[in-house]
Amino acid sequence: MASTAASAPAVPSLNLPPSQFARLQPHAYLLAHLSPPSASTQPSVRANGRAASQFRVTSANAGSLTHTNGSAVVRIGDTAAVCGVRAELLHTADIASWSVSNASDEEADSATQKGASQNADDDRNQVQDLHLLVPNLSLSTGCAPGLTPGAPPSTLAQSLSHEILSLLHTTNLVKADDLRIWYQPPNLESEEFRNAAEGMEVDSEQNGGPEPEIKAFWVLYIDIMIISWAGNAFDAAWSSVLAALRDTKLPKAWWDADNETILCSDDIADARKLSLRGLPISSSFCSFEADAAAGWRAVVIPSPEELKSQGQKEGSQQRWILADPDGYEEGLCEERALIVVDNEDGKTVILKMDKLGGWGMDSDDLRQLVDVSAERWQEMKQILDQC
Amino acid sequence: MASLPQIAIPGQRLGSLSSYSAGPGTHVQESFIYASIAGPVIADPAQPKIQPKPTLRVSRVISPKDLQPQNASTSDAAKPKPRYNTLPAIESNVLARVTRVQKRQAIVSILVVLDESEHLTSSQTASDNDNIASILTSAANPENHSGTDDLRFQALIRKEDVRAVEKDRVVMDEMFRVGDIVRGSVISLGDQSSYYITTARNDLGVVMARSEAGNMMFPISWKEMRDPVTGAGEPRKVARPF
Amino acid sequence: MADRRRINGPPGGTRPPVYASLQESTTGAAQRAQRQRQPAELRKIFLQTGMIPTASGSSYLEFEPSASLAAARANPKSLIPPSSALKVACTVHGPKPLPRSAAFSPNLVLTTHVKYAPFAARKRRGHIRDASERDLGVHLETALRGAIIAERWPKSGLEITLTIIEAEDDRWWGDAPDSHDASWGLMNVLAGCITAASAAIADAHIDCLDLVSGGVAALVSDESNSASSIPRLMLDVDPAEHRSILSACVVAYMPARDEITEIWLKGDSSRAALEKGDDRSSHEALIDGAVDAARGANTVLSEAVRESITRSIAQA
Repeated sequence: MASTAASAPAVPSLNLPPSQFARLQPHAYLLAHLSPPSASTQPSVRANGRAASQFRVTSANAGSLTHTNGSAVVRIGDTAAVCGVRAELLHTADIASWSVSNASDEEADSATQKGASQNADDDRNQVQDLHLLVPNLSLSTGCAPGLTPGAPPSTLAQSLSHEILSLLHTTNLVKADDLRIWYQPPNLESEEFRNAAEGMEVDSEQNGGPEPEIKAFWVLYIDIMIISWAGNAFDAAWSSVLAALRDTKLPKAWWDADNETILCSDDIADARKLSLRGLPISSSFCSFEADAAAGWRAVVIPSPEELKSQGQKEGSQQRWILADPDGYEEGLCEERALIVVDNEDGKTVILKMDKLGGWGMDSDDLRQLVDVSAERWQEMKQILDQC
Repeated sequence: MASLPQIAIPGQRLGSLSSYSAGPGTHVQESFIYASIAGPVIADPAQPKIQPKPTLRVSRVISPKDLQPQNASTSDAAKPKPRYNTLPAIESNVLARVTRVQKRQAIVSILVVLDESEHLTSSQTASDNDNIASILTSAANPENHSGTDDLRFQALIRKEDVRAVEKDRVVMDEMFRVGDIVRGSVISLGDQSSYYITTARNDLGVVMARSEAGNMMFPISWKEMRDPVTGAGEPRKVARPF
Repeated sequence: MADRRRINGPPGGTRPPVYASLQESTTGAAQRAQRQRQPAELRKIFLQTGMIPTASGSSYLEFEPSASLAAARANPKSLIPPSSALKVACTVHGPKPLPRSAAFSPNLVLTTHVKYAPFAARKRRGHIRDASERDLGVHLETALRGAIIAERWPKSGLEITLTIIEAEDDRWWGDAPDSHDASWGLMNVLAGCITAASAAIADAHIDCLDLVSGGVAALVSDESNSASSIPRLMLDVDPAEHRSILSACVVAYMPARDEITEIWLKGDSSRAALEKGDDRSSHEALIDGAVDAARGANTVLSEAVRESITRSIAQA
């Protein structure tokens, strides 16, 4: 590309140290790293020394926070996320629509025994409708310059929180049954019922004793603090959520009919871990385009035919898809992709695929990215299993 | 003279005012010199007439060279003025990006404060914020982030400070365009919001610019740059290339 | 009003879990945490600088878990932690331009900001800064302002942000709040914040008179009948380990100059058992104790700052 050729020689004439060049001409700086002069034997690497599909060194550490039911710290390179899970109780008495929806839920519960897929759907409905998972991500921790601490969540923080919430819902990660607190009313027909209305509804026409009923749900408050933000906040946040949920222990809880409240046992032997569905791992990518002036020119969306002919004309050396972008690269790329995969019996399952901000990546690219994500899944599984 | 520590931390006593004078990175209390930042301690030798006592300073820049006093002293003897911090100061050269061009002035945001010593010892990078690793962590492209300019110091180039000759015939549009990288020299700390900088020297002015077509241009004269692709020339206040 | 910019839980609200063992507290199923340290013995501090590269300066500080917490961690039995230990991350951004609306300042303008993570304490904290967090911010700012040489940085601002990842308890969890009760944990948090912020400022190469560090001392009484017992002076108290705290004091102290930049004394310090021949008034003893604690923290602080500078020299 002409602009490439022009910007490259302009550089040495100025004789800037690399740090200043990186600051003044970030695009050309990254480009120079990715496309070294063909004469030299230098391989194409990113300015941070990584290969295009290489992720940063990742580490995870779970269970170090005292006041949480589950917690984790995940570092991806210089990006660090701390996630704490706190469980609180939602009494069904506090749910406005409970008595109405109750009946249909019971039906659903009997249906759950039949199909696993339906089970997952019901779970999603209940978890989602009752807001049992409450993730919130905070960037106001001084994690990067320019984010005012104390200000309300920025648009980015809000969108990250929502992305995490929707991923929690679509992956059905948390089983609704883990969050339910059941109560088996004693079979004392006439005597002990305080709650006459409920008693009648549930009980009167049953012959084999009263049906168990849900008295409360656990609500998981999942708070993520991005402590250090050097690009790719989502992957760090999501892995920290995953690691924290894997670490989460819920105390044994029961309905205490005498006090009409839920009591919990603080005995760690009674507590149980969440049984999560699968291990969805997210991988983020961004696409770096060689045409430095792209941002300066008027955007004309080419028709598919034009795109095709362009592709043939200019060959492949136009853009690079970079895995796990750091903050510097994120600032230089318009087009991003997010792929969430799981692995079921050795088979890669795509749970989410997001691509936005451009039209450079095509289906072949995405196919490759899925392969990269599948490799990343293996790596992350090892890291999370060890933490 | 007591021996100096190699590394100091803030509050550490370095020496007495009777045998040294205090330089950057230090402060004086009750006739003793104390370090005010953490870093290597350097004693610049006394210079007859100007400075009868050796000057003690704590270096903000960490380079292996600074740890060998002989080397450091040779390069610093020629250093014009000790700087107390990394902020733009009067006479410091800066690289800045043009963010707005108005009839009477251009507004720029300062990207880099060039260290004076750098031209003498060109191998080493300058101030604190020049650590590549830390640059790479934060967002690079100021155009994409409206917030970034709030994090950089703003400066003005007034019409009369653009060039030394034909000052009255300066048309700002023909001197700078938004996005140009300009080398300038700070002439005043200015008001509460902006520094004032000048480009009225041969070595000051636009150092990097893109043409209207978006290509990097090269300088062809003191007032024109050319697009290598389209061949079109554009007027600029060009800095003399090195 | 629901906060539209955050994800809110169930509209009806939720209740924190109630443990059955608390209800039958007469048996005292859980052991009250006991202080294992000598009165003048400080908890160890872990302090590291420079791990957040996007900031001009940063630090991470952690208090050593007290004996009871360490035991509970090693051999978990109960879900109720016996006590907790401070964990703070601090970042410094700047010097950077002042906001456009700000007036000219010939000095460095400090902004401090302390925020607890929602999961930092026994009770879930809100997302919006509350009065105690603002209070901490103000105390911290005073402590630091006295140490920074502000006139070297004209026209610029320094933003110091502290995130409390884990806070200190205000009392033993089994105790009901009583009349003497104040938020004693806050004082430990402030001391930790001062030390952490000082390390981060040094990491950012901002000129300081000295490394300022924080320390806490308190008058505690461990007998069940606090009216008759004589309170004793202890350094670096973990409030969870004492039956009642009568008075506590935090100082921010610069050892090289022997100066205090911030002092915060709470509670009733009129009665204390000092050693024979010690004719200090008890609040003087309290302040001296806090200064001793701050001196202890300072050795860790100077070591961390020195280590980080040595490390960066080795890398250069």
